Amino acid sequence: MSAAQNAPGKPASGTPAAAAFATLFLLLPAGLVLGAAFLLPLARLFGLSGSMPAGVLAPYLELLGDDVYRKVFFNTVFFAIVVTAVTLVLGYPLALALARMRAGWRALFLLAVLMPLWISVLVRTFSWMLLLERNGPINRALIASGLTDTPMSLLFNKTGVLIGMVHVLLPYAVLPIFGAILRIDPALLRASEGLGAPRHVTFRRVLLPLSMRGVATAATFVFLLSLGFFITPALLGGASEITLSMLVENLVNERLAWPLAAAASVILLALTLALLAVAGRFLSPAAVAGVGR
Amino acid sequence: MSTVRFAGVSRRFLEITALHPTDLEVRDGEFLTLLGPSGSGKTTLLTICAGYLPPSGGRLFVGGRDVTDLAPRHRNIGMVFQNYALFPHMTVFENVAYGLRVRRVAAQELARRVGEALRMVQLDGFADRPVPMLSGGQQQRVALARAMVIEPDILLMDEPLGALDRQLRKEVQLEIRRMHVARPRTTIYVTHDQEEALVMSDRIAVMRAGRIVQAGSGRDLYERPADAFVARFLGESNLVAGTVQSLGDGRAVLAAPGIARPIAGRAAPGLAAGARAAALIRPEALRPEAGGLSARIVERVYLGELAALRLVLEGGHELWCRCFSAAAPGEDKVEIGWDATAVSILPEVNEP
Amino acid sequence: MTGRGGIGLNLFAAAMAAFLVLPIAAVVPAAFSQSSFIRLPPEAWSLRWWHVFLADPSWRRALVKSIEVATWAAALSVVAGTAAALGIARLRGTARRLALALFVGPVVVPVIVLAVALYALARSTGMVGTTAGLVIAHTMLALPYVALNVGVSLGMLDPRLGLAAAGLGASPWRVFRTVTLPLIRPGVLGGAVFAFVTSFDEVVLSIFLAGPTVKTLPVRIWEEIRIEYTPVVAVAATVMIALALAAAGASRLFRRRAA
Repeated sequence: MSAAQNAPGKPASGTPAAAAFATLFLLLPAGLVLGAAFLLPLARLFGLSGSMPAGVLAPYLELLGDDVYRKVFFNTVFFAIVVTAVTLVLGYPLALALARMRAGWRALFLLAVLMPLWISVLVRTFSWMLLLERNGPINRALIASGLTDTPMSLLFNKTGVLIGMVHVLLPYAVLPIFGAILRIDPALLRASEGLGAPRHVTFRRVLLPLSMRGVATAATFVFLLSLGFFITPALLGGASEITLSMLVENLVNERLAWPLAAAASVILLALTLALLAVAGRFLSPAAVAGVGR
Repeated sequence: MSTVRFAGVSRRFLEITALHPTDLEVRDGEFLTLLGPSGSGKTTLLTICAGYLPPSGGRLFVGGRDVTDLAPRHRNIGMVFQNYALFPHMTVFENVAYGLRVRRVAAQELARRVGEALRMVQLDGFADRPVPMLSGGQQQRVALARAMVIEPDILLMDEPLGALDRQLRKEVQLEIRRMHVARPRTTIYVTHDQEEALVMSDRIAVMRAGRIVQAGSGRDLYERPADAFVARFLGESNLVAGTVQSLGDGRAVLAAPGIARPIAGRAAPGLAAGARAAALIRPEALRPEAGGLSARIVERVYLGELAALRLVLEGGHELWCRCFSAAAPGEDKVEIGWDATAVSILPEVNEP
Repeated sequence: MTGRGGIGLNLFAAAMAAFLVLPIAAVVPAAFSQSSFIRLPPEAWSLRWWHVFLADPSWRRALVKSIEVATWAAALSVVAGTAAALGIARLRGTARRLALALFVGPVVVPVIVLAVALYALARSTGMVGTTAGLVIAHTMLALPYVALNVGVSLGMLDPRLGLAAAGLGASPWRVFRTVTLPLIRPGVLGGAVFAFVTSFDEVVLSIFLAGPTVKTLPVRIWEEIRIEYTPVVAVAATVMIALALAAAGASRLFRRRAA
């Protein structure tokens, strides 16, 4: 975005006041939308979390003190950590392969990485419900291959949630790593090789450290998105795999416990912002936007 | 023994032949420069020598051993890349130490050799600097130290001075030359800069369109170029087109339309009587001569000690003459001749 | 890169590509099932559930509503987002950082938090179950992407072009219309498609803000899955895939024309 500093749109003429007015005018429509549908609701939610008669901190204490809720926090962080680890382990070699492919193949494989991002998470998750079923194709294939005699339970438990989340989030891990690897000057790898380094040394001492920023960006994105994941754990998980976002939904829709729901949301938001603050050093707004499609 | 021998080495990229089958031998301890315009195949030849690019045909021998199928990391080469390819996440020390660490050199020995290498390129005291904070010239010297510290059998350099400004380039040229003389190591150097090639090399191979046109010492190439391309690429040259009138005993005579007297000179190989050819008359070979060809001076360029004069002959030919400023004729009408021993008759090549 | 990837690496990449794409394709055959429950692959093929989908007014209404909401959200976020990108490009220093932080907000705040917050506000203002409520919510979600992506297009623009036009006497509006807009058009069109799909695919906000008469297709699917689903859900999912892929194709087309 830094290049945008030079973007046209600088007032060609007019007084500073007129220029400021024009800027304000340009920002007004978006400002109204974000003010009314983003800032205001969040502020109200914050207020709601402190509206319990027992005091401002009461809902927070209730959430943090209860074993059931602690289990929810544990689940949420557990899924986030495992999904982040798995997507990085799968995503790095995929990104590396992409970076090394010839242009034609690369375009095809990039399509495979990008295409899922256009499809609704709901549809992608529904697909997994069909595939992971007790009598679904995956179980039948496992039985046919002799790996198992009885159908494995892949749905409505941790396995289902992990498979679904890894599938949905893998592209978010691949893209930043792919970008980072592409930016590495191939001459550096040649230099390492020429100096006598075997492949694994070149990988460990040159390729990996130079793509670390991409890995960190990928890890941040996947972890953040995992923390707030709702649809996939809600549909693929069982009764004991409740995550923070499912808890929020449940508190609002089933128990109508608004202050608790608001407090849980604020906790989720705080986790997210804390993580972003830590990661903020290597993330730019453009990077965040770029992860779209 | 680190001789390098290319035996019929060639390279195609799809339909394009980047390098025609090429034979070339670099002697042990020799500094050889591959000189040519971009696209002439010089970098392809160097990259094949490093092992980053497999040849499409032919074999490559180092010290008599066939290394054609050897991976770069087993070749013990020191390569200096065009933009240095320094590892941006490492300090100067770590960059230079890299090849030694790969070779599992013990810590003490490693520190000693890195220190020595940095001293050699006058960078002692810079060991802990991060690479991105160095100037271009310093980065260039780190790259040199990194390539030399592993005691490579061959040193390869791919336009290593291209990114430096002119003044610095001259200094580093002499520095590299001094290092080479002090400690001769088989070196292949790629450049498109004729001056650089002349300053540093024991021998120069001029390349054009995927072929080595001529290889020899700087003096050989300047005084006895094989064709008009080499003549134009090294030094200033006046080329006068014509047809070969007579040929024999290593000498040839050229008849040039518009010039009253035939031009005699050393015959380059590949001439045929009656064929089109060009006479090469170096600007410094032209001199005033009573009873010579009459010419008009249409432009004078003062170069300090020397002066360049643009002459137009009666027949319309244009020649550049170079002489001491003090000896430059004052009047605009002159009669000129040339030193017949400094003239070469060259086969004409079709410029791309 | 030095060396092409090894065979092992490429095989792994192929396996990953299959893992990414094939599961999504699995719903499509399920939509052409004959039986009343989903089994993959179906034992008998038919268009039975497509007829059910088309004959059921609730599915039809949901599809139409989805397109209606997405069209509005795309239009609003493109206009507001492009204007905002131009505005942000004129800001400097702290103002600029603050504006960017605000625009990144909806991207980084977990959707469930946005959904609950919006729901709380919409309940008290009577916006739950209204088309306007959904449109505003989706616009909030899509607008930052449009603004940031148009911002990137603007950043790649040679600033001298605008100055040249202004120097030739063009008014700021004329400079925008004749120089800036034509050059950032691919970014704007891409943003429009992106906003449309963001809205069309959106589930979480919509679940909270939809009402009995105002439901988008994902909301309808969500409700159906949660109770007991028949292959008609696979039909609806296939429709969503088809529309999303058409949009993705359109966006590629815009980008190619830009290149």
